Amino acid sequence: DRGFTNGQMDDLKFYGRDLSRPEIQFLAGRKDVAATEDDLKHIYMMRMADQLAEERTRLRQAQLNYSDFAEKVESIMVMKELKEPRQTFIRDRGAYDSPGEEVGPGVIKKLLPFEKQFPRNRLGLSQWLTDSRNPLTSRVAVNRIWQIIMGRGLVGTQEDFGSQGGRPSHPMLFDYLCEDFMQNGWNVKRLIKQIVCSSTYKQSSACSLKMLERDPENELLARGPSRRLPAEMIRDSALFSSGLMVSQIGGPPVKPYQPPGLWKESNNIAYERDIEQGSRRRSLYSYWKRTLPPPAMLTFDAANREVCTARREATATPLQALVLLNDPQYIEAARSAAQNALLKFESVDEQVAYLFRTFLGRNAKDQQLDILRKTFVEQLAYFKNEEKEVETFLAIGDLKADTQVDTNELAAMTVVAQLVLNLDQFVMKR
Amino acid sequence: MNEQLNHLLARYSNLLTRRHFFSRSSTGIGAAALASMLPFPKPDEKSTDDLLGPASALSQLHHAPKAKRVIYLFMSGGPSQMDLWDYKPLLNEKNGQELPDSVRQGQRLSTMSGFQSSLPLAGSIFKFDQHGKNRTWVSELLPHTAKTVDDLCIVKSIHTEAINHDPAITFFQTGSQIAGRPSIGAWLAYGLGSINENLPSFCVLVTKGKGGQPLYSRLWGSGFLASTHQGVQLRAGKDPVLYLSNPPGISSKSRRAMLDNLEAMHELQMAEAIDPVVSARIAQYEMAFRMQSSIPEVANVGDEPEHVLDLYGPDVKKPGSFAANCLLARRLAERDVRFIQLFHRGWDHHNGLPGGIRNQCRETDQACAGLIQDLKQRAMLDDTLVIWGGEFGRTAYTQGKLTATSYGRDHHPRCFTMWMAGGGAKAGTVYGETDDYSYNIAKNPVHVHDFHATVLRLLGIDHEQLTYKFQGRRYRLTDVHGHVVSPIIA
Repeated sequence: DRGFTNGQMDDLKFYGRDLSRPEIQFLAGRKDVAATEDDLKHIYMMRMADQLAEERTRLRQAQLNYSDFAEKVESIMVMKELKEPRQTFIRDRGAYDSPGEEVGPGVIKKLLPFEKQFPRNRLGLSQWLTDSRNPLTSRVAVNRIWQIIMGRGLVGTQEDFGSQGGRPSHPMLFDYLCEDFMQNGWNVKRLIKQIVCSSTYKQSSACSLKMLERDPENELLARGPSRRLPAEMIRDSALFSSGLMVSQIGGPPVKPYQPPGLWKESNNIAYERDIEQGSRRRSLYSYWKRTLPPPAMLTFDAANREVCTARREATATPLQALVLLNDPQYIEAARSAAQNALLKFESVDEQVAYLFRTFLGRNAKDQQLDILRKTFVEQLAYFKNEEKEVETFLAIGDLKADTQVDTNELAAMTVVAQLVLNLDQFVMKR
Repeated sequence: MNEQLNHLLARYSNLLTRRHFFSRSSTGIGAAALASMLPFPKPDEKSTDDLLGPASALSQLHHAPKAKRVIYLFMSGGPSQMDLWDYKPLLNEKNGQELPDSVRQGQRLSTMSGFQSSLPLAGSIFKFDQHGKNRTWVSELLPHTAKTVDDLCIVKSIHTEAINHDPAITFFQTGSQIAGRPSIGAWLAYGLGSINENLPSFCVLVTKGKGGQPLYSRLWGSGFLASTHQGVQLRAGKDPVLYLSNPPGISSKSRRAMLDNLEAMHELQMAEAIDPVVSARIAQYEMAFRMQSSIPEVANVGDEPEHVLDLYGPDVKKPGSFAANCLLARRLAERDVRFIQLFHRGWDHHNGLPGGIRNQCRETDQACAGLIQDLKQRAMLDDTLVIWGGEFGRTAYTQGKLTATSYGRDHHPRCFTMWMAGGGAKAGTVYGETDDYSYNIAKNPVHVHDFHATVLRLLGIDHEQLTYKFQGRRYRLTDVHGHVVSPIIA
């Protein structure tokens, strides 16, 4: 050790008891040490009085209990306003060491002036934000809901409502929805209902090539929405349709399936999956390590959470295909759905039709059923000759095979379910 | 029909994710995945360079490129420049003496050594010798790399502002100390597109089993660019790419049959209503299937002759080692993967430096030299830029105790050494100088931004012109900084 600045350590001694004031003075080299009556009382009570021995033990135990308890309490940092607001200055060209004019808390006056009744702190800001005369907040909120449902906001640039952002495609509709939203207690559920019960939403998303060319983003809303689901919804969809999803609301996060060794390689930390129920909760509850987010989520364009992302992309990549084809999460979901099909229905036709319907939300056409049936037959023939393969395939994931179900059929039907999970229609909302 | 579809796909992909780029009608973020993978003919406007992929954001390069691909060997932790490259006999002379204030110039030190009561200088215990035509000084720790100095462009005057690992490495990878920006490889994937149909254009290889400062996926992330531009990690083991292998129990026969039926379903869908999105998805599945053979093919070094393996040293046979990754990097480069990023952790020698750095060099020295020789033998060195470096340097004074056999060094952003080889970097060059203490730069400073500007230049890109509009302004890798360092360009 190199020691510490302006000091030294010398003559280190350990004592198994608290030192009294006179003892400390003596050790520090003071010559004129004298014990006051208080000091003597203290020394007597702490060291000599036998009748207090039990109390001393109790005290010690109480101290241990306290520190044990205090250590385990999880502390969360909260923000609090300073009593005296700190002086804040504009920095010239952003340089931390060149302060310019002093400024105080303020807002964009054009939206709504910061009136006297709003305290000049975060509470005041929140009041200003949600004041019914402030046009911006409700617009951002409503647009976000519209974007989630319709695929594109009425304002195309959800992340920018400023002068460089887009204009609303339907300004009167937008104003109406925003006003209505505020007047009805900012009720999100009600707003969602309004949108999905509208005839605009209920339109078919099918359109001609000409229409597609003329309005590729469906700005004019001449057809229903057509957009790839976000990452979390794809996983949730698979879990829900397969019957595996755990509907528990709230509680600590969980760690679902992830390729082994990822955390260890980059961070030397082990990833311990939460088995069974833990791997079947809504994706909302997945543990998110910001420096190494779940790869299956990133592959489907989940935001990496390092910057605010108001609008995600919806790419199509081969890595996504690999996830849907090979991720144990989806294989287990496929097997669960396949098992349900086999248990619920007698004929192959009914079984594959069920799979189509449960994952895609619509009935299969005859030609589609033909292909699914063909798949089942082919895969069954393949698995019938490969007992070992059947075993290993059915061992993926936590879900145990139901004993009533023939294993070859289960394996074959799982592949059919996988096929359905990999259809464009599964990841696209139309 | 096909004509119409082609044209529509082109337009559609341009607007697929609502962002607009300059010039080429078939570019767009979605197009990176879409157009480059589709079995459609290249667009009418032939790019002036066959170095640009079909979905590149740039319609043409700004300069004649020298490099076609980059292999960046990142030494995470901050390798000690005065023990490897920056020969400073004065430090040995003054071993144990206090770091002069005139040298330190009031620099604020990190909390790791800032509270030391003294800052004694530590000379390197390693011997330096002169090598190559220019009698370049290299320490005994790098006997193999020393033999390649005539191919190297060594820059001794690199500097950064970042003093700790996370911001420093983020700075080197993304051009900003603060997270959120795209990495170099992502910028290149975006600007230049992919020139390989079967492999990702940006691959990442991390040495397995190393401890040290952690790495983050943002270091090869795409920031605000399309996620298709992010780096794909290739790991040692069964699944070089995540989720690559068929699940256990599924043979390729079974899988192929299933995929055929999948395609049949999609074609039914297409017959009902033409949808470019479905078309794109079909293409992705085919690409995924191709990757299931192309990736194992590139990762399988079984066909490499012994004499080539010998270049990299014995570790090359251990999957996941730095040497194995270097060999893999060469194979990826051969197949025109644009940007290959290696990470080797463990250079953060706050204490026990001599022992620690010997290990690090043993793991990397021969492989680096081997890579250069291998590329040279294949006539690939001229258009492959190889880069070696960490996120900052180390202090001339010792952190912790200074003994005859051991010392440590704290982080030092003010000056450190990197080298480049091939791809237009001027061979047999030493650029930039530090003072006698390897503490300050004496001549020709090269900032991280300058380094980025130069790398882009070597690839034919004007760093000020590869931009992307985000949050109301145009961003670029070098942001509003950076000057190309012309003297190190051949």
